[in-house]
Amino acid sequence: MTPGAVVWSVLAGALVLWGTFSGLRPDLPGPIALVRWFTRSWLGRALALCAWAGAGWHLFCQRP
Amino acid sequence: MSRTLAVVAGAAALALSWWEGGLSRDQASAHWSVLSVIALVVVGAGVFGAGRQVMFSGAWARAPLSLRHHLAEDPGPSLAAAVWTLLVLAVIGWDLNSFVHQSHNLPTLSSLVGHVTASHVGRAAVFCGWIGLGGVLALGWRRR
Repeated sequence: MTPGAVVWSVLAGALVLWGTFSGLRPDLPGPIALVRWFTRSWLGRALALCAWAGAGWHLFCQRP
Repeated sequence: MSRTLAVVAGAAALALSWWEGGLSRDQASAHWSVLSVIALVVVGAGVFGAGRQVMFSGAWARAPLSLRHHLAEDPGPSLAAAVWTLLVLAVIGWDLNSFVHQSHNLPTLSSLVGHVTASHVGRAAVFCGWIGLGGVLALGWRRR
């Protein structure tokens, strides 16, 4: 395993742990609340859609 | 959205995802399908969202700046939001670092996802998730 893959594994583990913990606690903002926060205004929605569109183009039209 | 329309949209998204899964990044049909989905989602966001946002953009952008106020009023959720911010920034920062170094030892996030999208099923599944996220970002949580 490369050093970069180790860091990615740690980040993925932290995201899964924190996402699960915060998602199960009704008093904390979980992963759904994170997405929801971006949809509260046109600016947030536009920023999120720009990131979404860029990611889609990169993943499906530039990467194998 | 009516239940029938939701079922039809879901079935169309699944069929499109399966078809897209069989394409590769170099094909014109892959480019056109991705661009068409992006256009459809952006138009959908505009058509269904007019006058139905929860907040004005200025207030939304300024809201996180009142950190002291948030911490005093709701310390738990404020700290949780800070943890989310740190995690997201860590992902973006590490991805940028990996991209800048262009080393085999430092794979970027998209190169890792590329291992999944290399197969038909993997590409179809990631495409389906991408369409779903776009639909939520365009249509989700509107003021009634």
